[in-house]
Amino acid sequence: MDEIFNSPYYPYLPPLIASVLIILLFPLIAGYIVLLERKVLADLQVRLGPMRVGPYGFLQPLADAVKLLLKEDIIPAAADKWIFWGAPVLSTFTALTAFAVLPLSDKFFVADVNIGILFILAMSSIGILGLIFGGWSSNSKYSLLGSLRSAAQMVSYEVPLGFATVTALMIAGTLSMQGIVHAQQEQGLWFAFGNYGLMLVPAVVFLIAGVAETNRAPFDLPEAESELVAGFHTEYSGFRFALYFLAEYASIFVMCALWVTLFWGGWLRPFPNVGFLEVPLNYGFPILLFVVIGLGCLKGFRRRRMPIEQTVIIGALAGAMFLVAALFAIPAANPYVIGLFWFLLKVFLLVYVFIWFRGTFPRFRYDQLMEVGWTYLIPISIGALIVNGIVFLWTSGS
Amino acid sequence: MRELLRSVFLVDLLKGLWVTFRNQKPSLIYTEEYPKDRPAVAERFRGAPRLNVHPDSNETLCIACNLCALACPEQLIVVTSERNEETRRKELTNFTYDTSRCMFCGLCEDACPVDALELTQDFELAYYTREGAIWDRQMLEEGPLPTEYNY
Repeated sequence: MDEIFNSPYYPYLPPLIASVLIILLFPLIAGYIVLLERKVLADLQVRLGPMRVGPYGFLQPLADAVKLLLKEDIIPAAADKWIFWGAPVLSTFTALTAFAVLPLSDKFFVADVNIGILFILAMSSIGILGLIFGGWSSNSKYSLLGSLRSAAQMVSYEVPLGFATVTALMIAGTLSMQGIVHAQQEQGLWFAFGNYGLMLVPAVVFLIAGVAETNRAPFDLPEAESELVAGFHTEYSGFRFALYFLAEYASIFVMCALWVTLFWGGWLRPFPNVGFLEVPLNYGFPILLFVVIGLGCLKGFRRRRMPIEQTVIIGALAGAMFLVAALFAIPAANPYVIGLFWFLLKVFLLVYVFIWFRGTFPRFRYDQLMEVGWTYLIPISIGALIVNGIVFLWTSGS
Repeated sequence: MRELLRSVFLVDLLKGLWVTFRNQKPSLIYTEEYPKDRPAVAERFRGAPRLNVHPDSNETLCIACNLCALACPEQLIVVTSERNEETRRKELTNFTYDTSRCMFCGLCEDACPVDALELTQDFELAYYTREGAIWDRQMLEEGPLPTEYNY
């Protein structure tokens, strides 16, 4: 054991394990985000959503993955083959690379880079190229129009996104993703509530621009199915389409994680500096949550007569939930998982909000989209930057 | 001023979000999982026709009087019979019923003097061919077999 710790390669080991874990697990998580999206959307629209594969549609992502992998891989005859081949790879690559600097918790992360947030913004800018290449190389007017729209939209919404980010960075005083969270711990509050509540303005601007940046409803013009069939990935099928899908959900996850890190305290629990809340929030809350989820799984048993394999799946799920609850109850293990718990809880609540937006708001027209971006969001974000800067200088007393 | 404040604090957007949030109660879900849960139809629903047999002797109740065929506005019933020389009675040989033309008016079952022809509560009448929709005597006596689905 000591040999491993003392070897000169040891510093590379934890990041390597973390990145392999992320790359292996994220496609599965993305699949389950898709299932969550279908289920929540169904709830909002008074439907049931997927119910057939596994109990209450629980195994649907696996069936979808098998379907996508077995589909015929078609490259249109008129397509520019090499660019067509490379575009989804580029999109997926950039989306997954952004995970390298995400601070999933203070213990579990790949790298703490001192320009972390610049790295994420740069990667998401390169990711646009994947969409443009895909739309261009397909040699289809729907794809081309979709990619034109997405390019214009993502470029124009990157400006307010950047300004909102800069506002948070100004308060944090660092570009490192870990450092931003540590700054929030030192100041004792999440940045969304900083500056006497003035920071809520850039937080909201960041949310709106983030929804637009990830091409989600109500800003999903690049893939407006009523006008453009499917936008830039109209001609893609099978595994390439799956890659685009993976990239889309990865960028949603990254955008949510960025919002949580910048404005909602990353892996910090609510009231991170109030000592007496540590036991109820770090031990009580997660245990209660997972036990309640486990009991909810068990409740699925009695609903109706079901085949044995479904009973087994539900039982395994409930058992897993109780095991996770037990994990949080062990004092030695708790500090290692509690950061991850709070971070993922916040991120998934935000993913839910994204889906909620999709279920609520109708799509913008193209000129409305540009109007919201250029005449409202950009001036508001610049104004918020200036006002927050003045207030911050004033109150910090320097 | 009110209007301005409404748009600044995104009141209308939040209202819309509240409407969708309020409506995601599982009890409001309207979906029927059809092949798994079949809907309960009304008691007097008129669906697939059936030719009743005597429960003990398994012989048909139909006396081949042809009244149903005469009553049918679509003239889709054809009753064929032959006279039994010993008992001097008409005996049913075949009975065809074209469900593709049927409008389920129920006049045939009203006309039947022995309650042999009856419209049941089955409603799955889809077939792969047009000929499959024309039911013969055997089909009418057995009734449509409910399709089994394996999940």
